[in-house]
Amino acid sequence: MSAAVDADSDNLEPSLQSIISQKSLRWIFVGGKGGVGKTTTSCSLAIQLAKVRKSVLLISTDPAHNLSDAFSQKFGKEARLIDGFTNLSAMEIDPNGSIQDLLKEGGEGAEQAMQEMGGIGSMMQDLAFSIPGVDEAMSFAEVLKQVKSLSYELIIFDTAPTGHTLRFLQFPTVMEKALAKLSQLSTQFGPMLNSVIGARGGLPGGQQLDEVLAKMESLRETIGEVNTQFKNADMTTFVCVCIPEFLSLYETERMIQELTSYEIDTHAIVVNQLLFPKKSNDCEQCNARRKMQKKYLEQIEELYDEFNVVKMPLLVEEVRGKEKLESFSEMLVHPYQPPE
Amino acid sequence: MPSLLLTIFILQLTIHLINTVGATAIDELLWTLYNTLPTRTRSAVQDSKTLRAEVVRLRKEMTATSSQDEFAKWAKLRRGHDKAVAKYDDNANALKTHRQTFTRITTTLRYLGTNGLRLLLQFYFAKTPLFWIPTGWVPNYAAFLLAFPRAPRGSVSVQVWGIACATVVQMVFAAGAAAWVLLMRGREEGVGMGKQGRRKEEEGVAMGGGGEGKKEI
Repeated sequence: MSAAVDADSDNLEPSLQSIISQKSLRWIFVGGKGGVGKTTTSCSLAIQLAKVRKSVLLISTDPAHNLSDAFSQKFGKEARLIDGFTNLSAMEIDPNGSIQDLLKEGGEGAEQAMQEMGGIGSMMQDLAFSIPGVDEAMSFAEVLKQVKSLSYELIIFDTAPTGHTLRFLQFPTVMEKALAKLSQLSTQFGPMLNSVIGARGGLPGGQQLDEVLAKMESLRETIGEVNTQFKNADMTTFVCVCIPEFLSLYETERMIQELTSYEIDTHAIVVNQLLFPKKSNDCEQCNARRKMQKKYLEQIEELYDEFNVVKMPLLVEEVRGKEKLESFSEMLVHPYQPPE
Repeated sequence: MPSLLLTIFILQLTIHLINTVGATAIDELLWTLYNTLPTRTRSAVQDSKTLRAEVVRLRKEMTATSSQDEFAKWAKLRRGHDKAVAKYDDNANALKTHRQTFTRITTTLRYLGTNGLRLLLQFYFAKTPLFWIPTGWVPNYAAFLLAFPRAPRGSVSVQVWGIACATVVQMVFAAGAAAWVLLMRGREEGVGMGKQGRRKEEEGVAMGGGGEGKKEI
């Protein structure tokens, strides 16, 4: 068995070249525990991919938006070109956008409608949004719709720390279930609701119930399409970022298992913040940490023998700004050679 | 018709036994017996047992492995464990549906075999006299009650015989239980005289007080 494992680990190169040269990819997620360097990794990956693709969009779903920080440039809800690039854009979205925000975005009509419907409106709202995760899923759906209309060739998600990420990836499934239930309800109770609403002349704002339902149905189709894309290993992949420490490793293992259960492909792990002290140094702390990191690195290589494990060094400076990110990103493709 | 007399007695005895032992206990026993036969669920039950043993083994091994020192081994164990648990749950769920069907069928059969049969006999032999009472043994109104509802006057009806059997069975069992308790208590007293005796005395005093209170009323 060990022979087979060795052969495998020999075959898999320790770089993200396989992801960069996989032209069919359309969605890439970068995730891991907080503070392990997700943003740096996703920015570097985006820079490398921008070299080979027509257009790349980098989206941060972390509420603690770091993209602005990494590129020293302000990004917002709209996609914006990153300074110094012609085909690499970035945007920051808030996954916790509540339904109230969504209603506001829907224009005065929607909000007014809910208010004027009084009891029934808030009841419908409660009913629809009592399903866990739906309001987040709604905002996610909005983003996806926006992203799809922007027609980027490749979209990279810089996700929030682990728990968030997995919820985020579940949204399409949650959303599909919720909308299926809603449309079922509406076919059952639609006539009744129509007769109630119809007595006072349709929904305020000139909408008809059927129109609203049709809108929901189209949203459902979008979600369903995205869902199948996410589950397609040719179109979507997940890059796990971790540091060689127990908790980070533990989270990574949990995440990989959950991703497998969602049928989302993942075959790359970036191990960040590795120490490579020179052999002839007498820094006790560095050597002790190096020893610990080595232990976990060995465990990683034993456990994830079917993964591209990329080893990234801990630098002496913060990786911020275009130039530093570019030089850092080189190491994703050409493995770092530690000094002797 | 002695066979009918006996049949009804045995039926009442069975009903009483089932009620005493408890329907769930009997279902449990039947399910176990059913799965020792070469049935469809037999393999599932055995799988379930082996899977549970596997889960327990993996869990033990997992606690014995340090997750910090041997993360790879631990994580592999955990993967195996999660897989086994998922499989076990699936299996248990499938078995549960089978079991529900089984219980439904046995419950129906049990009901038909006891109370159903009783009702059938009572209805079918409603007009049949089980045996005759010599004239003049009981007053007229009692004869009417004994023949209730449709047996000829002067005889004992199926219903009354059934009630009599049930009462006797119940009383005999109650007497048996009481005798058993008395017997056990006697033995206990024989073993631990000292404390037991003193307590008995106290009880006697308390009971005496209660008795006096009653008398006053």
